[in-house]
Amino acid sequence: MLKTSLVILTGLIAVGASAALPETVTIRTLAAQMRYDTSDVIIRPGAQVKIVFENSDDLPHNIVFFQPGTDVVAVSNKQMEKPEEALKRDWLPDDPRIWLHSKLVNPKQKDELTFTAPDKPGIYPYVCTFPGHALTMQGRLKVLAPGPGLSDLKFQVYLGDWKKLPDFKSLVPHREGDLPGNLVELKFDDYRNQFGVVYSGKLNAPTDGDYTFSVAGDDGVRVLVDDKKVVESDGIHPSSEIRDGKVKLSAGTHNYRLEYFQAAGEAEIYAAWRGPAFTNTTLSKWVHPQAAEGSKIPKKDDSVGMPLVVGTEPVIYRNFISGAGNRGIAVGYPGGFNIAWSADQLNLALVWRGAFIDAARHWIDRGGGHQAPLGYDVFKPSTESALPFAVLASPDAEWPKLEKDQRAAGYKWHGYRLDEKRFPTFSYEWNGVNVTERFDVEGNAVTGNGRLVRTLKLSGKLPGNATFRVATGNAIQPVGNSFVVDGKFAVAVEGAALAGKNLLVPVRPEIKLIYSWPETLPQHASTN
Amino acid sequence: MKPFPILAALFLTPVLLCAAPPQESDYYSITTFNTPDGAAMEVGSIELLPDNKLALGTRRGEIWTVSNAQDADPSKVKYQLFASGQHEVLGLAYKDGSLYATNRYEVLRLKDEDNDGRADLFETVCDQWGVSGDYHEYAFGSRFDKNGDLWVTLCLTGSFSSNIDFRGWAMRIKPDGTMVPTCSGIRSPGGIGFDADGEVYYTDNQGPWHGACTLQHLIPGSFQGHPGGFKWYDKAPNMGPRPVLPHDNSRMVTERERIKELIPPAVYMVHGKIGNSSSFIVCDLSKGKFGPFETQLFIADQSHSNISRVFLEEVNGIKQGVVFPFLKGFKSGLIGGRMNDQGQLFAGGSDRGWGSKGGKPFDFERVQWTGKVPFEVHEMHAKPDGFELSFTEPVDERSAADPATYSMREFTYSYREEYGGPEIADVVPKITKAVVSADKKSVRLTIEPLTKGHIHELHLDGLKSAQNQPLVHAVGYYTLNEIPKN
Repeated sequence: MLKTSLVILTGLIAVGASAALPETVTIRTLAAQMRYDTSDVIIRPGAQVKIVFENSDDLPHNIVFFQPGTDVVAVSNKQMEKPEEALKRDWLPDDPRIWLHSKLVNPKQKDELTFTAPDKPGIYPYVCTFPGHALTMQGRLKVLAPGPGLSDLKFQVYLGDWKKLPDFKSLVPHREGDLPGNLVELKFDDYRNQFGVVYSGKLNAPTDGDYTFSVAGDDGVRVLVDDKKVVESDGIHPSSEIRDGKVKLSAGTHNYRLEYFQAAGEAEIYAAWRGPAFTNTTLSKWVHPQAAEGSKIPKKDDSVGMPLVVGTEPVIYRNFISGAGNRGIAVGYPGGFNIAWSADQLNLALVWRGAFIDAARHWIDRGGGHQAPLGYDVFKPSTESALPFAVLASPDAEWPKLEKDQRAAGYKWHGYRLDEKRFPTFSYEWNGVNVTERFDVEGNAVTGNGRLVRTLKLSGKLPGNATFRVATGNAIQPVGNSFVVDGKFAVAVEGAALAGKNLLVPVRPEIKLIYSWPETLPQHASTN
Repeated sequence: MKPFPILAALFLTPVLLCAAPPQESDYYSITTFNTPDGAAMEVGSIELLPDNKLALGTRRGEIWTVSNAQDADPSKVKYQLFASGQHEVLGLAYKDGSLYATNRYEVLRLKDEDNDGRADLFETVCDQWGVSGDYHEYAFGSRFDKNGDLWVTLCLTGSFSSNIDFRGWAMRIKPDGTMVPTCSGIRSPGGIGFDADGEVYYTDNQGPWHGACTLQHLIPGSFQGHPGGFKWYDKAPNMGPRPVLPHDNSRMVTERERIKELIPPAVYMVHGKIGNSSSFIVCDLSKGKFGPFETQLFIADQSHSNISRVFLEEVNGIKQGVVFPFLKGFKSGLIGGRMNDQGQLFAGGSDRGWGSKGGKPFDFERVQWTGKVPFEVHEMHAKPDGFELSFTEPVDERSAADPATYSMREFTYSYREEYGGPEIADVVPKITKAVVSADKKSVRLTIEPLTKGHIHELHLDGLKSAQNQPLVHAVGYYTLNEIPKN
C-alpha cells in the first residue's frame, strides 16, 4: 500500500507533544506530473508548523493557502483576466482569503514557510496559482482538534498460522515490550508473515458520553475497551475498509486492547477514536488514506510508487497498459516524450509527455490491472483498438476495429530491435508487407518545442487502395503544415487528407509523421 | 536457581554435541549472493550460458547475465543487465548464441549483436496464445527438449476459468515458431523441466482439482486434471475430441478409469509437509558432483523456501515415485533453478504476493554438496506386495530388519472442484517383513495392504546406518498410481 499523499504530523496529534518546536512537513512537486506529492496535511489548531516546499519539477510553481471553502481554481483563473498585473505579482492572486503562501519557486529550488496553524478547525485548501496549474495541483491542509492518545502502550507478539484471530489469552507470547511512542505500529522486522500482536494501553475519556472506535487491518483486527469487544474486522483481507464501533464511556481512564494477526502479504493496522469533545484521533502510526474523511468507500490511492525514470536512453516497459491493451509496450524517450505501442493492434496507442510510467501497480504484490501513463497531455492518435492499415471500400467507410481480446487478422508481430542509442524499431507483417516503425525525438516535450517523429517503412508488394490512418477525431483542423486533432495534439504528414472523422494517407514505402502539442505551434501560442 | 545444575549442564554440553542429529547443512551448503544495489532480483528463471555464465530472468522483466557465480568466493560474482522491460521472464533457454525468453505473451529470441553485453534483438518467436489482462495468467517456459522444441505452460485465468486461448494448457513451440497444443488440464504451473531421459514434467499448485501441489508428467495428448480449459479443444484438432468431464468429489484413481486421457500426478508434493507452492524442477545430471542422487529430481517450493527430492520410476506405463524433504532455509520463495555440470545448483525467487518462509523479498543462491554423504533413503521402488528401499550408506542390520522400525500411513485427496482439500481415506497397513540385502544397502518391506492411488507415507525414525547414524530425513511420500504386477 502506498501512502505518500497523506501526511499527518503525528507528533502534534499525540498527547503531550511539546508545542515549542515547529513540526516540519515537506511538500514536493512531482516532476512533469502537475501534482504535489502530498494532497493532505493534517495539523492541530494553533500548532507551530514549518512547511518545506520543494520544487522538483522543470516548471516554476508556488503553494498558496486559502480560507476554508474557497474555490481555488476560480481564484487562480481569475487573474488571467489581467495577466500583466498578475505577472508583476509573480502570479499570486490578489485575494483576501489567502493567509499563507510561498514565493514562486523556480525548478529545483525550495522555499520554507513557518507559521502558527489557524485556531479554527477546518479544511484549508492549497493550490499552485501559476497559470494552468490549479486544476491538478491542489491539496488540503486540515486543521483538526484531536483528542487524547494512548498511554502505557505495550505489545505482545505471538507466532502462528491463523485464518481468524485466535484466542490470544490462551497462547504464550513469543516476545513482549513497550511502545514508548504510544502509537499502535507494526515494526517487527523479524516477522513478515504468520504472527499476531496484542496491543494494550490506557485511554482517558475527557467526559461521559458516546465514543466511536475505528479500526482497519491487513489482516484481522479487533478492538476491546475494558475487555469488551467494540469493533472487529476478522479474517484475511486487505485494509481498505475502516470499521466503526460505538461504546458509552464514563469520564476517566479505560483499558484499550487491540488484537491483530498477519497471515501473509501486506500488513497494516489503523486505529482511531473520536468522542463528544474531539475529532477523529489516530491511535496508530499508519494513517488510513480514508481516515480523515471517515469515508467508507475504498479510494484509489493516486500517489506515486515506483516511477521509472528515463535518463539518456529510452526505457522500455512491457505490461498491461491502459489504452494499449494486454501486449502494451511503453517507451519513455529522453526529453519527456513517451509512447505506448500495442502489439495487439500493431499500432501506436498512446503518446504523452512528462513523466514515464509508475511500475508500482505491477511490481508490488501480485501486480494486477492496467497501468495508465504517469505524465500528462495523453492522447490516442488513432483511438483504442484500431489497426494501422486498411483497404477501405470507400474513403469514409468505417475503420476496422479490434474487438476485446481479438487478434489482428492479417498481421503478425515480429518484435523489435534496439539501435546503438537503444531506440527501438518495431517490426511486423501486414498481409505480406513488412512494416517497421520507429520514433525519434527533437527538442524537449516538457519545456521546449518538442516534436516526436514517427517513421513507418513498408516493403513488399503494397496493396492498391490501401490506407494508413494518421488520426481520428471530432474536430481535425488544418493549422499550417499540421492538423490539430480535437485540440489535443498536432500531427504533420505529407499527403494527409480528411475523410469524415479520419485523417488518412495512401500507403507508400515511407510514411513520416511529426507529432507536437498544440501550444508549441506558432498559431496556438499564448491561447492557454 | 542453584549453581550446581548450571555447572552440570556446561560439562554435559560436549557430550550432547557428539550425539547431535545430522543436519542438512553438514551435507549441502547454501551460499546467498549479494545482488546489485537497487535491483530487485526476483528470480523467475535461470539458464546456463557459455563461458561459465548464467542468465537470470526476473519477475520485473529484467534479464541479468552473471559471471563468477561458480567461484568459491561469492563476493566475486558480477552482474550485467542484459535486457529489461520484458513482461515477466519465467523461462530462459540458450541455443546457438541466442537466449530464448518466455514472457507473459510470447517466446522471444534475444541476441547481443554488437557484443556490448546487452541484447539488441528482441525477436518474437511465438505469440499465439492468449492473454486477457488478468494477473494470474502466468506463462512458464522450458529449455529446449530432446526434439528441439520449447514447452510453455499457461496458467488459467484465476483458479477456475480460461478466458482466452489456451489458458490451462501446455504448448510446444517448434523451431519455426509454430505452436502445438500438447496437454490440457493445467491449473497454476510453477515450473517445468526434464528428467534424465528428457521426459517433460511440470509442477502444479494446490487448488481446484488439486488437493496438494503436484509433479506431473507432460505426455503429448494428455489431460492433466483441471477441466477449466476444455473449450480450447475446439481450436486443437490435433488433440482429438475433448475428454469426458471428471466427476466432482471423486478420486483420481476412479476418474482415471473413466477418462482415458487423464494422467495422474506422478508425485503429490504433500501439502504443508513438503510444501505449499511447488516451483522449479531440476534433474541432477552432474554425474555425482551433487552427491549420491544422480538423475533424481529436485523440486523447489516458493512458500516453504525449500527444495525436496524426488525419485521416479515407471510402473505399468505410468510415472510415479517418492518425495523426500531435502534442504530448507533459502532466503525467499524459490521460483527459478538450474544445475551446472559441476553439481552447483543455482536457485532464486521472490515472495511477492504470496509470502514465503524465507522472509526476504527476493534471493539468488547456490547449493553445493559438501562432499560428505548423507545417510538417506536413496530410492524407493514399488513392489507387488510392498516397497524396496535402497540407502546411500549401509544400514545397521538389527534396526533395519525389524519391521517395528518402520511405520506407514496411506491416504489420498478428493479429486474435486473445490479448492485444495484434506488428507482423506486413511489406511494404516501392517509392515509384516523387513528383509535386509546382503550388501546391507537395501531393505525389502512387505506391506499389507497397498492401496492403489494412495500416497504411502513412510516413517523410518528408528533406522540407523551401520555407523549408528539416523537418517537425515526419515520420512518419504510415495504416490502409488500403479501397483507393479511383478
